[in-house]
Amino acid sequence: MSVARPDIAPAEPWTFPVPQETVLDNGIRLLAFDIPGQYVVSVRVGVPTPLTAEPRHLEGIATVMSRLLDEGTERHSPDEFAELLERKGIGLGAGMTESALVAELDVAARHLGDALDLLRQMLAEPAFAEAEVRRAVATRQAEIEQERASAPHRAGREFIATFYDPADRASRPTGGTAQTVGAITREDVVAFHRGNLGPGGSTVVVAGDLSGLDVPTLVQQTLGSWSVPGQAPIVPPVAARRSATAARTVLVDRPGSVQSEFAIGWSGPDRHTDLGWAAYQVLSFLIGGSPTARIDTVLREERGYTYGIRSAFRPRRVGGTFLTSGSVRTEVTVEALKLLLDILDRAREGFTEEEVRDGVDYLSKTAPGRYATADAVAGEAATLALDGLPPDFTTANLQTMARLTPADLRTAINAVVTGDWTLVVVGDTGAWADGIRDLGRGEVTVVPN
Amino acid sequence: MPLDYPIHDRHLPNGLRVVVSPDHSVPNVTVNLWVGVGSRHEDAGRTGFAHLFEHLMFQGSRHVASGEHFAALMAEGGRLNATTWFDRTNYFETVPKGAMDLALWLEADRHGHLLDAVNQKNLDNQRDVVKEEKRQRYDNAPYGTALLEVYAAIFPDGHPYHHPTIGSMADLDAASVADVHDFFKRYYGPNNSVLTLCGDVTPQDGFAAVERYFGDLPASAQVPRGPGPLLPALSSPVRVDVAGDVPNDRLHLAFRLPVDPTPDFVAAGFALDILGGLSIARLTKRLVRDEQVVHHVDAHAMGFVDGSSLGLVSLDVAGDADTDVVEGRAMEELERFADAGPTAVEMEAVMAQSERSWLSALASQEERADLISHSTLLHDDPGFVNTYLDRLASVTPEQVTEVARRWLRPANRATVAFLRAEQAAA
Repeated sequence: MSVARPDIAPAEPWTFPVPQETVLDNGIRLLAFDIPGQYVVSVRVGVPTPLTAEPRHLEGIATVMSRLLDEGTERHSPDEFAELLERKGIGLGAGMTESALVAELDVAARHLGDALDLLRQMLAEPAFAEAEVRRAVATRQAEIEQERASAPHRAGREFIATFYDPADRASRPTGGTAQTVGAITREDVVAFHRGNLGPGGSTVVVAGDLSGLDVPTLVQQTLGSWSVPGQAPIVPPVAARRSATAARTVLVDRPGSVQSEFAIGWSGPDRHTDLGWAAYQVLSFLIGGSPTARIDTVLREERGYTYGIRSAFRPRRVGGTFLTSGSVRTEVTVEALKLLLDILDRAREGFTEEEVRDGVDYLSKTAPGRYATADAVAGEAATLALDGLPPDFTTANLQTMARLTPADLRTAINAVVTGDWTLVVVGDTGAWADGIRDLGRGEVTVVPN
Repeated sequence: MPLDYPIHDRHLPNGLRVVVSPDHSVPNVTVNLWVGVGSRHEDAGRTGFAHLFEHLMFQGSRHVASGEHFAALMAEGGRLNATTWFDRTNYFETVPKGAMDLALWLEADRHGHLLDAVNQKNLDNQRDVVKEEKRQRYDNAPYGTALLEVYAAIFPDGHPYHHPTIGSMADLDAASVADVHDFFKRYYGPNNSVLTLCGDVTPQDGFAAVERYFGDLPASAQVPRGPGPLLPALSSPVRVDVAGDVPNDRLHLAFRLPVDPTPDFVAAGFALDILGGLSIARLTKRLVRDEQVVHHVDAHAMGFVDGSSLGLVSLDVAGDADTDVVEGRAMEELERFADAGPTAVEMEAVMAQSERSWLSALASQEERADLISHSTLLHDDPGFVNTYLDRLASVTPEQVTEVARRWLRPANRATVAFLRAEQAAA
């Protein structure tokens, strides 16, 4: 080529958008982000609802309830409600995290007021018709079977069952088991909704091109009228307990599998960590965040064992995990696992100056693009609000990140990663279980799929 | 609503079509290249090449080491990848504007001088990676092979869309370094590519930068053949049963559709949304809500250029329901829809939801750049992003009815039925 490799001009400084913040009469906190040119407005409502509020024998009820919210209200049958949404081009739905119900609304700006009223109805006045509850239960039960058939889901389920203390809610699936979901009745859903959902402690995020819209008034006129007299106080979040026997290996047998699916993990921090969340974001990226990360450099690009394996620190409201997941072909399972554990163990020895710079540069310089859409801003702001973090956390965290040194990363990883692992492999155990036992990584159990 | 994203369009002397769409809201630029080669161009015995080739484009070129394309751009805040599909191969990165020149330099090096770096070792390695991609996506996932079965059932043997983009592993095994060279020389070159810049750049600077890095590449590609003749709808149903270890029965109903972009294709998309895409869709209302014999319905249209597009409806059959009865009832709804056409409420809903999904797609610079490359390469229409909503608004209920009658009757379907093994054996 006739043209020399070009130099780079430095990136401009950037900060996460600053919201207009209001508190509604009923206690809801409103964060409004005006982002010119974003014609679809994204709304998120975060309602603190810990899964620990679910009765043990009805686990999954929060998930079932969340899915029923848009299936009819006191004023509208399910078909009518669906029609009201569709005719205005409204996308509306809700789901559960481990600590909250999150409702999501996307709509063209001119229909925002109508959409917010439907959102209010969904949260405050859901009908929970008997036939709809029956259907939601059956659908969730079918999904549980689908998840059992999917290797990544199956591995994830075995991981939490092994890693967390069996007495802890976190050891069992967010969406419940076939048995607990099957026990859910309409009365249970009504009672769960009445006892756990309310405006107090909730946050509404509205992001998009808000020119010409009086968002505080629109939200006050709609969600502002949601009231739950005597709403129970919000339960402070607590850490999930790790099992005393978490450091072991569980193999899930699926004879004939052409790949083996790994889930390898241990404890990690939440975003409030004193060591700074930024360090863990950089660690995730360097260990298993891209095709050039340590794991795929060896397992994909050198060996061709995998399409890609990812590692990430996954924060919960309190505490978290560091999880590595992905699949390799059956024949190389033991060799791949050896390489993987070696890379994970060696991460505790630290990272070079150059690696740290690459990771920091990637994460900080991609931030403007990662948070360029209304959807991305609303999602980030809602996540921070539910985590009890201020809206400027993202900006402050990037400033911390810019100063990270190899010593900081080494301290951060050694604060949580110990060399003990909960190790789950899903696949044709007959082909490699003995090889994994020979690795000498502690107790090995084989369970059916 | 009227849209007015700025579009500036130019050809370089070597044939490269360049589109610049300035957007100064974020200090980034997306570089998005569409090359006019996809799996539809592959010859028998050489399937999977377009996709394998996309992998090799990350393994180095004349001045770039293996893996350096990813590493160099990521270190500057680039987010990047590539995809392969029936009609095209797509390479893209979004970078801070100060790294736009680096992105263009790297792209020009691999789009002009890839073959300096292709060798047996990186061919073998990426062939292994592609095989793992196939195992992960298709072989080790329940219903994973559904689309492969659908393409084979709905498109005749030898048709460009009969075989999937992932291709045949035996064909990939047979690929030599010489085959890779031939493929590159035949299809890759500025005269078979479109390059879109979308973001914080002026048309003047954008065109000059592309000219600087791509200007000296020769017009080396043999421009591929144009599209073949229109494939008519199936005249009698085709049925494929796949027995397997699946949690519940699933029906995939496939239909040939008019090519994209035509008013008929837009109308077909509306028809499929009304049948199974909206939450008030007919199949959803009857089979999911009222009769509760199906857990989930999905329906959508996939636009292709070479003689046919594809319409797909999938039904997750509830455990205690009779799959044949479910299919029969779905066919009743297809007949009813073709006979009577859409209601006013259905037209209003499908228009409103299509508008929102189009505006959501355009919300990100990356996706907007991709849509511009798409309409420019495949439809010679760089301004499509601004006119698509008007096209949606001009679709009449009569057009939707007409399209349903011609393409979406029960006789026009190919059914790929995934059946739980014990039931299939009975």
